[in-house]
Amino acid sequence: MLHEDVVCPFCACLCDDLKVETDNGTIVKVDNACDLGNHKFLTDDDHRLKEPIRRTPSGWTSATLQHAIDRTVEILLGADRPLLYGWSGTHGEAQSIGVHMAEVLGGVIDSTTSVCHGPSILAIQEVGHPGCTLGQVKNRADLVVYWGANPIEAHPRHMSRYTTYTDGFFLDRAFKERKVIVVDIRRTQTAEVADEFILIKKGGDYAVLSALRAIVRGKSDMIPATVAGVTKEQLLRIAEMCKKAKFGAFFFGMGITQTQGKYKNIRNAIELVDELNRHTKFTLTPMRGHYNVYGFNEVCTWMTGYPYAVDFCRGMAFYNPGETSAVDILARKECDACLVVASDPAAHFPKDAVRHLGEIPTVQIDPYPNTTTAFCELQIPVAVTGIDAQGTSYRMDGVPIRVKSILNRGYPTDTDILGEIYRRIKEAKRV
Amino acid sequence: MVRVILDVKPRKNPFLPVEAECLVPKNFVDEREPRDLSVWVGNKERRLEEVVTLTREGTATSPEDVELVLRGDTSRFKRVGEYMEAGRITIEGDIGMHCGNLMKGGMIVIHGNADSWLAREMVGGTVRCNGDAHHYCASGYRGEKRGMRGGEVEVMGNAGDFTAEYLTGGSVTIHGNSGDLTGVEMAGGTLIVHGDCSRVCANMTGGTGYVYGMVHHMIPTFRFRETAIIGPEKVKMSVFEGDIANRGKGTLFIKVYKYPL
Amino acid sequence: MSELLIRHACVVDPVNRISGEIMDLAVRDGRIVESVSDRAEVIDAQGFLTMAGGIDSHTHICGTKVNFGRYMSPEDMRAGRTLKKGQMHSTSGYSVPTTYGNSYRYATMGYTAVLEGAMAPLEARHTHEEFMATPLQDTMANVLFDGNWPVMEAVRDRDVKRVAAIVAWVLTAVKGFAIKITNPGGTEAWGWGKNVTCIRDPVPYFEVTPAEIIETLIRANEILRLPHSVHLHCNNLGTPGNYSCTIGSMDVAPDLNKERQSLYVTHVQFHSYGGTSWKDINSKAHVVADAVNRKPHIVIDMGQMMFGKTTTMTADGPMEFNLYKLHHNKWSNHDVELETGSGIIPVYYSRKSIVNSVMWAIGLELALLIKNPEQCLLATDNPNGSPFVKYPEIIALLMSNPYRQAEIATLPPETESRISLPAIDRELDWNEIAMMTRAGQGRALGLRKLGRGHLGLGAIADIAIYPLSIGAIDPSKEYTRVIEALRLTRYTIKNGKVIARDGEILSNRNKTTIWVRPKIPEQHRMDHDPDFIRNFERYYTVRMSNYPVQEAYVPESTCIETEAVW
Repeated sequence: MLHEDVVCPFCACLCDDLKVETDNGTIVKVDNACDLGNHKFLTDDDHRLKEPIRRTPSGWTSATLQHAIDRTVEILLGADRPLLYGWSGTHGEAQSIGVHMAEVLGGVIDSTTSVCHGPSILAIQEVGHPGCTLGQVKNRADLVVYWGANPIEAHPRHMSRYTTYTDGFFLDRAFKERKVIVVDIRRTQTAEVADEFILIKKGGDYAVLSALRAIVRGKSDMIPATVAGVTKEQLLRIAEMCKKAKFGAFFFGMGITQTQGKYKNIRNAIELVDELNRHTKFTLTPMRGHYNVYGFNEVCTWMTGYPYAVDFCRGMAFYNPGETSAVDILARKECDACLVVASDPAAHFPKDAVRHLGEIPTVQIDPYPNTTTAFCELQIPVAVTGIDAQGTSYRMDGVPIRVKSILNRGYPTDTDILGEIYRRIKEAKRV
Repeated sequence: MVRVILDVKPRKNPFLPVEAECLVPKNFVDEREPRDLSVWVGNKERRLEEVVTLTREGTATSPEDVELVLRGDTSRFKRVGEYMEAGRITIEGDIGMHCGNLMKGGMIVIHGNADSWLAREMVGGTVRCNGDAHHYCASGYRGEKRGMRGGEVEVMGNAGDFTAEYLTGGSVTIHGNSGDLTGVEMAGGTLIVHGDCSRVCANMTGGTGYVYGMVHHMIPTFRFRETAIIGPEKVKMSVFEGDIANRGKGTLFIKVYKYPL
Repeated sequence: MSELLIRHACVVDPVNRISGEIMDLAVRDGRIVESVSDRAEVIDAQGFLTMAGGIDSHTHICGTKVNFGRYMSPEDMRAGRTLKKGQMHSTSGYSVPTTYGNSYRYATMGYTAVLEGAMAPLEARHTHEEFMATPLQDTMANVLFDGNWPVMEAVRDRDVKRVAAIVAWVLTAVKGFAIKITNPGGTEAWGWGKNVTCIRDPVPYFEVTPAEIIETLIRANEILRLPHSVHLHCNNLGTPGNYSCTIGSMDVAPDLNKERQSLYVTHVQFHSYGGTSWKDINSKAHVVADAVNRKPHIVIDMGQMMFGKTTTMTADGPMEFNLYKLHHNKWSNHDVELETGSGIIPVYYSRKSIVNSVMWAIGLELALLIKNPEQCLLATDNPNGSPFVKYPEIIALLMSNPYRQAEIATLPPETESRISLPAIDRELDWNEIAMMTRAGQGRALGLRKLGRGHLGLGAIADIAIYPLSIGAIDPSKEYTRVIEALRLTRYTIKNGKVIARDGEILSNRNKTTIWVRPKIPEQHRMDHDPDFIRNFERYYTVRMSNYPVQEAYVPESTCIETEAVW
C-alpha cells in the first residue's frame, strides 16, 4: 500500500512529503526521505523491543504489561522527588499526559531540550526571538547564514526544502540568487557550499557576534585586527553583506548553543539580528534536533507556563534550568526515581548523571533497547510515533503537523501506556 | 538578643533538597512561633522540627534581635534567608541554592561554600561568604531585566560563572577569581574582582566594574578611554567604556587583559 | 435529563427587556425552559445580579503567539502562580496565563465564551490544541487573512467570488470562526521589513491596497453568510494621528447585513490618536465615536488600556517592532508564510506617562460617547490593553463618574487638555453593561439566534450570578463594591451545570469549539482549483493534504454550516 505525504519522524525539519510503501505490515520502500529518515523507516522493525522486560538478579526477563504498569505506578508514587525525562521522540498528546503526571506526583519534568537548545530558550527569555516560518525563508531569503550548524549532515533536507536549493516565490533561480554564509570552528561539509566561510576559534562566537553588532551599528574603531581568528576585514565584509540583503535568515545549531557561555552566545546572535532589522529584514531560527523536541516546549508552556525543566514539588510550577533541569538533578542525586520516555539520556548525559540513573529505580518507555536500557529496572515497548502511532508534532519553526500512523504492529502507544499510568496515579491520590 | 541554633538532623536521603524559606529571623522572634513552620523535603511538607533540632538562647522583641545559626549539613537547604528583612543568619557549613534571595536587610554570613544563586535579586542587606560561591552569585531571575538592586555581597573565595549577571545596584566583591561572563548584562552598581575572570561585563549597559587580576577573552567591543591610577595601592588600570555592541555606557577598570585573537 | 432551578435571580437581560427583575430561571439539559419538575436541583440566587454568561469577542488566549508570550516570559509566569487544588490544575502567569489560568479566571468572572482574536491558518492546529486545554469556555478563532497571497491575487483580479471561495476553503480547513484582517497588507510588507501607512498604500508586489482587501473581504463574508462580520484591526495601530486612517477604514465598509454589523473594528482605543508625534498625542475618541454613531453597520470594541504591566501580542508584526524600538525590552516576531505575521513585546503602562494616560482615557471616552452600547463592546484586546482580569475595574469606571474623576486626578496634569473624559458625565447602567459584555457580543458574533448572550426561552444556560444586590447599591458611589462583586461570581453556570462557585472551580470540562463550514458550489471549490493547488504545493512548506486541521483537534465541536449566496 502506498502512503503519500507521510511526515518524517526523525529531525525537526518534519518533512511531510514522503512516500512510503507498506506491504503486509512491513515498510518496503521510502521515497523523498534523506538517509536519516530512510534509515528510521526501513530498519525500524529490526530492533524493536518485543515485550516489557524487567531486571532480576539473574538478568533480564520478560514482564507482563500489567506488572510493568503496576511497578511503574508503585515507583512513582513511592518517590519523594521523581524525575520524568525525555519526551522529544513522542507526540504532543503523550507529552501532555506527562506534564499532568508530573503535577499530580509533585515531580520534575524535563525534556531533551535541556541538553540541546535549552540555552536558546534562556536567551529568548532575555531578549525575545525575531523568527518566521520556514516558508518565509524559502520564498524570500537572498541571504542564509548557518552558524554552528551543519545541516548537510544533521538536517539533510533543510537546504533543499527550505533554503539554498529550493526555488521560492520571489526567487526563480534560488541557488544563484541566494548567498550562503557559514560560520563554524571547522570546515564542515556545509562550509563547502558557502559563498563566505568564517572560521572561528573554538569559544570565540560571542566575541565575533559582539564585533558584528558594533559594526552594524557603525562603530568599528575599537575592534582589534582579528577577533577569535576572524580578521576585521572579513567582519566588515560580512556585516555589509547582511545589511545589503533584502531578507536574511540566520540559522544556528548546537555548535553555538553547547559551547562556552551557551545562552549568551545565542542572546548575542539574537541581538545581532535585532540590530540588522533596523536596516533590513532578518530572521533567526534554531536548528532543533528531534522531530518533536519543540512540541514538548509548546505543550509544557501552555500547561505550566515554562518550556522545560519544571519542578512541581510544591504543587505549582517552578522553573530554573541549572537547578530544575534533568542533568543537574541527576548529577546532584536529588531525584529518587526516574521515568524516561522517548529519549536516551544515558547516551548523552555526563557520567555522574548517568550513574545516578542506575542507582535509583528507573523505568523506560521506549520502542527500542538503547544505552539507557542498561540503567533501567524496567522497560515498556511502545509504538513508534510516525510509524505505528499518530499525533501532533511541532517543526523547528513552530508549525504544528500531525504525524501519521502508517501501519499497525500491535504495540500500545505512549498515550495508551502513560494514560493508564496517569489514571492509576490519580486513583491512588484520589484526584 | 536571641540566638536560635538549628542543628540539622541526620537524613536518610541527604541529597533530597529541603526548601526552607521559613528560616528567616522574623519567624523566630516569638518563642512559640516555630511550631507552625514547615519545610518541603522533596514533594513532602514536613514540620521544621522533623528536620532540625532547635535550641534557643535568650529572648527577643524584634527580628533585629534574632540570630539564626545553622549547624550540620545544610548544603541542600535552599532559600534560607529568602525575603529576609532584618536580623542575622550564620551558616557554619555550606549552604544550598538561593540563599538570601530577594533579601531586603540584615546580614547573612556563610562560613563554608554557597551553592548557586546566592543573593539572587537582592535588594538590601549584607551577604558574606567566607568560602566559594557557585554560579550566578548575586544575579537575577530568568527573563527579568533587573538582577541584584541593592545591598552588598562579598565572597572571600572564588565565584562561578555569570556572577553579578544583570547587576543593577549595590556592590559585589569577589576576593578570589570569578568565572566566565562575570558582570554580563550589568546595568548599574559596582563589581569588584580581585582575582582573574573572563569576558567580564560583556554586553554591559551601565555601572562600574574593576578587575585587579587578569581578564581573559576581553570583549572586543569596549572602547579604551585612558589609563588611570586607582586606589590607595595606586594600581595602574586601563579604563574602558562599553559595551559598544549594546550602546552601553558602563565603565570598566582592568589591570591586565587579553583579547581572543 | 438534568434540571436546574435558579430561584430569586435578579435578572438583567437586555435582549429580552428584563432589567433587574427578581425571578426564577428554569434550566433543562443545558437550555433555559419555561419550568422544571420538582426534582430539579435548586440554587438560591439570593436576589443577586444574574446575567447571561460573559462573552469576550476579542481576546488572545490560545495559539502560537500567545504561547510564545508565555515561553519568552518566565518573569510573567512566576507573577501569577496558583497551587493545584481539588479539580484545579496549578496555574502560572499574570498577563499571559497558562490555558488553565485563563480558563479558571474567566470562569470565576462569569465568562463562558471567548473568541481568540488571531489565528494564523498554517498554525491553526496549535490554537485548537490549546482550546482543548481551555476547559471551561466555548472557544472560537478569528482566522487571519490580512496577507493571504491567493486572496490578494483574487482581490487584484477583482474576483470577489474567488475570494469567497478561498475564504471558505481556509475556514473549513482550519476550523475557524471568522475572517480577521490585521493591518491589511502591512503584514505582507513586513515580510520585507516594510509597512503600509494607511488604506491607500499599495502592498509591495501584489499591488492591491488595504482598502481593496477590506472591502472585498466584507463582500465575500456576506456572500458566504458567515455568522460574524469581517473583524478588522486597522492599519497604523498605535501611531499619533491614526484616527483619520481608522475613520477612512470604516468608510470603506458597505452596509450589507440587516441582523448585525458589516464590519467589526477591534481595539479602537489604539486607533483613535490625534497629534503628530508622541509629544503632542491627544484623543480623537469623539471624532471616532461620532463616526460610529453615524454608522449603525459598524461595531467596535474598546481595546481599553489599564495601567500596569502586560504583554502586547498581535499579528501586526511591524507595529510590534516599532514598539520594541521605543521600549528596548525583549522583542519576538513570527512571520507566517503566505499568510500573516505576529509580534510580541512586554510593556508597562504607567500613570506617570502622558501618552499612557491619554490611551487610558480614550478607551473610556469611546464607550461613553458611543450612544448604543451594542456598538461598543467591552474588551481590552487581552492582554494588549491589559489582562482581562481588569474588566471589573473598567465596568466600574463606566458606571461611576466620581471613580473616573478620582483616577484622572492621579494623572499628569498635562493630560487634561488632551482628552475629553473629564467633561463626560454619562454613567452606564446595568442594562448597558450587559449589552457591552454579553448581549452585544452575542449579536456581533451572530450567535444571538443560537441562544447566546441572553437568557430567553431556549437560550443556552450559560449564566453568571454575581454577589451583588443591584437595587441596594449606587454604582456611582459604591464602585469598589461593584469591582469586588464582578471579580468572583457566586455561581458561574455553563450549559446548566455549575462550573465555579465563589472562585472555586467545580468542573473538569464543559465546552465546545464553534467553527463554520460555508458551502459553496462544488465547481468553485478551491480543492478542485488547479492554480490554487499548484501554488499551494509550490510555495507553502506543508503539503496541502497535511494542512487541514483533523477532527481529532475538535473533540467537542459545534459546526455552523452556512449556504453561500452565489
